[in-house]
Amino acid sequence: MLKKLSAGAWISLIAAVLTLVSVILYTVNINSEGYFKNASVTNLTVYAILALILFLAAAALGQVKLSGGAATAVELLSGAMQIVAPVLLALCLISLIAARAEGLGFIYFSNADVILEVQTPANLASATGSIASMIALGVAIVIGLAGAFCPVRRKD
Amino acid sequence: MKTKRFAPVMRGLAAIMACLLVLSTAGTGIADSYRTALDSFLRTTSYVTVTDEGAARFQSDYATIDEMMAAAKALAIKEGEEGTAVMKNDNGVLPLDPGGTVALFGLAAYAPFPYTSGDLKAGNEDAVDLLQAFTDAGVKVNETVRDFYLNGILNKHTEEAANPWTGEMETQVAYDNIYVAAPGDMAEYQIVEVPPEQFASMGAPAGWKDQIDKANTTAVCVFARGAGEGNTYAPGSALDYAGNATGKDPLALSEDELAVIDVAKETCSKVVVLINSGNTMVLKDIAKGGAHEVDGIAYIGVINDYQCTGIVKVLTGAVNATGALPDTYVADNAAIPAVMNFGGGYYADYEIVSQNGSDPRYPGVEIGNETAGSFGGTATYNGGHYIVEAEGIYVGYKYFETRYYDSVMNPASNASSSKGATQGPAWDYNQEVLYTFGHGLSYLEYEQTLKSVDVDRTPDGNITAVVELANKSNQDGYFLAQLYAQQPYTGYDRQNGVEKSAVMFLNSAKTQVPAGGTAEVTITVPTKYLASYDYTNAKTYILDAGDYLFTAAPGSHAAVNNFLAHQGKTPADGMDAEANGAVLTWNLGALDADTFSVENGTKVTNVADNADLNYWTGENTVTYLSRQDWDGTYPINYNTDVEIRLSDSPKRDEWIAQLRGQVYTIQNNSPATEGTDQGVRFDTANIQYDQLSDVNDPFWNTLASSITIDEAVGAVIHGGSRSDVLTNVENPVVLQNEGVSGFTAKHEETGYRFNVHSQTLLASSFNPELAYEWGRVEGNSGLWLQRFHLWGTGLTQRRTPYNGRNYEYISEDPMLSNRMGYGILQGCADMGILNGPKHMGFNDQEHNRGGVSAYLNEQKFRETDLRCFQGGLEDADGMAVMIAFNRIGATNASHHAGMLQTILRNEWGYTGLISTDMMNNKYYFNAESMVMAGITQVADFGGEDNHITLGEGGVDATWEYISPATVQNDSALVEQARQNLKYQLYTFANSAIMNVSTEKVEVWWDSALKTMTYVSGTLTVVAAAAWIALTVLPDKKKEG
Repeated sequence: MLKKLSAGAWISLIAAVLTLVSVILYTVNINSEGYFKNASVTNLTVYAILALILFLAAAALGQVKLSGGAATAVELLSGAMQIVAPVLLALCLISLIAARAEGLGFIYFSNADVILEVQTPANLASATGSIASMIALGVAIVIGLAGAFCPVRRKD
Repeated sequence: MKTKRFAPVMRGLAAIMACLLVLSTAGTGIADSYRTALDSFLRTTSYVTVTDEGAARFQSDYATIDEMMAAAKALAIKEGEEGTAVMKNDNGVLPLDPGGTVALFGLAAYAPFPYTSGDLKAGNEDAVDLLQAFTDAGVKVNETVRDFYLNGILNKHTEEAANPWTGEMETQVAYDNIYVAAPGDMAEYQIVEVPPEQFASMGAPAGWKDQIDKANTTAVCVFARGAGEGNTYAPGSALDYAGNATGKDPLALSEDELAVIDVAKETCSKVVVLINSGNTMVLKDIAKGGAHEVDGIAYIGVINDYQCTGIVKVLTGAVNATGALPDTYVADNAAIPAVMNFGGGYYADYEIVSQNGSDPRYPGVEIGNETAGSFGGTATYNGGHYIVEAEGIYVGYKYFETRYYDSVMNPASNASSSKGATQGPAWDYNQEVLYTFGHGLSYLEYEQTLKSVDVDRTPDGNITAVVELANKSNQDGYFLAQLYAQQPYTGYDRQNGVEKSAVMFLNSAKTQVPAGGTAEVTITVPTKYLASYDYTNAKTYILDAGDYLFTAAPGSHAAVNNFLAHQGKTPADGMDAEANGAVLTWNLGALDADTFSVENGTKVTNVADNADLNYWTGENTVTYLSRQDWDGTYPINYNTDVEIRLSDSPKRDEWIAQLRGQVYTIQNNSPATEGTDQGVRFDTANIQYDQLSDVNDPFWNTLASSITIDEAVGAVIHGGSRSDVLTNVENPVVLQNEGVSGFTAKHEETGYRFNVHSQTLLASSFNPELAYEWGRVEGNSGLWLQRFHLWGTGLTQRRTPYNGRNYEYISEDPMLSNRMGYGILQGCADMGILNGPKHMGFNDQEHNRGGVSAYLNEQKFRETDLRCFQGGLEDADGMAVMIAFNRIGATNASHHAGMLQTILRNEWGYTGLISTDMMNNKYYFNAESMVMAGITQVADFGGEDNHITLGEGGVDATWEYISPATVQNDSALVEQARQNLKYQLYTFANSAIMNVSTEKVEVWWDSALKTMTYVSGTLTVVAAAAWIALTVLPDKKKEG
């Protein structure tokens, strides 16, 4: 079955996995001690899960063998999913950046005289976790965008 | 069909463009919120000011920028001249022999603190350090010592580092060996003074000692201590040069520093030590009788660009030494009663304040009660930590001098008991105190004599004293006069727990006096400061019946001795010196509990009963230090010697509510009126003389009523680093600026920075006129920079030597802070500049400042820290103030309506803006409580965010339970927010902000974002349409 997947479907699956990783990193981050504990970002998880579902659905639709108008409709639907999924992730990323900018500024760019107070191990770990979430989201977006260039349906 | 093969390409492009569209659209909003910060990092200017100079109400005193720069520089030099305080001067070591040589020892001799520029120091190109100042003054500096210090030990160099935002490489100053500039938060403090045994390995030539002409060389040793925001020294935390813990006080001279002094004594004929610190240091080892006694000691504070020129003028005798100590120097900081309760600790059961998801404002959120850094980060009320300021009014000299006075006048008070004694089995003033408040030696012999005093006992009356200064020398000179008073300590006071210091500083002045001649100076101070606050019986200010004594003296100890001598005491009674200074008496026949019981039409009575820990425990848990029994009332440590349990309190629930910040709860039963356009605007057409002179003019309420509900609450709780434009008001955008040394912003044309002031040296100048001059220069610089709102001074009382921000504050004495604050704020106000002093309300330590509870009684509340601010905010025309981070009692200082509404607004008649410190923790700073307390702007980093709709779902972006829907039925909250903004707008109108209008311009990154949005939007549509079209096109069928 997997051998029959197109490059587009594979990429969508990889993007889905990366999306899941970023959600896990984010969730761990806001539940761990440190600056961003409990600092959840509204709708981030919802958008990310939606993107994950769209990636998976796009890959799945690629396996449906249809012809004629139905095939075109499915192609349009899966294609739309390939477009919307990275857009949702971009929304997640920008929301996360907006929510974290001030905190990261505190932690990394405070005046020298308060830096010791700010850069506690917990806060630094929290900042690192937050940045890791952003990187994971960014990579998922790039992979998702690359996938949009590839059909999810293998040519017959 | 070949074109169909492009469908995936178009789909991919559509996805990319859609992503870019999302990023640019959302990014524009984010960039707007951080516009001020982005402007700073990217060096762009989003707002320009348009000035009609001819019509400007506030105009600079200086015609050109060169004149402005020269004035700032001259003022800074004057701070060095007037602020250098000679503490010890034996064997004629000072002034230095003009034909002699000096050998400079100590890291700070070559790199005085602070050595880096920024908030503390301007760093202009023509800055002068000590070495340069000595050279400029024609003093010969031993080159051998200079060279191995500069080249071998310090090895000043620069390091290149990338600016993390712009990527631009920046040059930073660094040294191989330098003192620790930031002591950290009650951390170990390494004193990195290089001991002499290391000199050879660091480049000192063999026989370097022989290259000093001992007979003709004076050693100048300079030692520094670091300081800074978020920093608090920890007693006993010192590490030596090698990094080994010594267990010594970090503010005491280390063995390595003493070794440097010893080698200086070995190689030079005389030794002077300069104290380069904003924190009072422990100098017992080098003071008279010390194991390493030196010839001279002088205080030089924390210097800035030009003060060294003035300092060297004092050291070389070019000007007379007129500086005096703003703090008491003791043999051991453990002798300070306030140190008994410093740093703080947890309640035994602090965890009970925590909420496991049940706080109705934050459903489902686990909120702890542990300490957090001052920049927040964890979900915590941060109310578990407290200190008890059991020393009451007895801070600094008021403790030491009063106990000394009682040891002579009233031995039954147990003044000589062992409690608080660190130098022997019985307390002895002369063993405990090295140099007292107000001490400063003059080179030229002079006497100050109080000639007359007049007390106008009316609510707005003044004490007017005339002091004669007699110059006994054969040189013209400049001299300092200090006025002190003693209030009667009566049976009423003993019965009602009213404490009185045996001596209180009132004010001071300086003047020129010709050789052998005399001159008179008139010193005035409001009479209200002679009153004491009786928080137990009269519950207002009182003037006791009895004799009020006044004297002029060179320091608080000399003043006390004058009072003792006047009262018939002699050294035979235990006085430590003869005294013959004139004392004048003003007598009050009967107790007066009326004159100062009403202020500005407001009845003055208790507003901080619950700041007292005893209020919560319901018993006399805390015993406040009293001169009735120095032994029985000497403070214990209320964190370690007793156990405080919140759950044992009869007011348990009320206490916990305060610790959770539940001071005010949003109501839902009184609809607020929506603000609508009232046809008035914030402009010169609407704001004329009547409106400028009276905040109660109907115009202001009309203007405030036009502010929408969303913006009224939003503009207060998102005061940001700048005020935003209100829709129906059209007020200008006002940027806030740092710092305590002056505006840190650079003048665009010249690159000059005007933050050249030294708060520490201004304080030790004891010259309120100089404070006014600095305030005026600071205000002028604001006009040149086109910046109008500054957090430009610190007035918190220096409760202990350990606060890492003492360098920003003035003194341990409320009245010296009061008079200096008066001068600085009036100077700025006269130039139309809002200068907000930091941090009103007992910001006594940086350690856990974002939540620590400071428990105290109301006499201390009113007569110590608040009095420091009263001169600038009530007596002068101060226009802004920043509130402390900490709690007063269990109440966040920014929630304290008693302090902010009753005292500041009503009693003091203050009409300016009131800001919080940085809003770092939404669980500690409660939005509705701050509004109701009268805060006009909650400080954060945002901009263009004066709404409560900017979070997801149209709620507030920080406090999610706040939205137009949740506040629109609380008319009291909305109207209070409008009233707060009314005061803020009134203040803006009375400032130089009215000189200008603010216009927003599009900067390059605005254009870039806008272009990106348009291009990506267009291409998204085009690419998506192309993808759909190519997808639905029928496949070309193969023929045959």
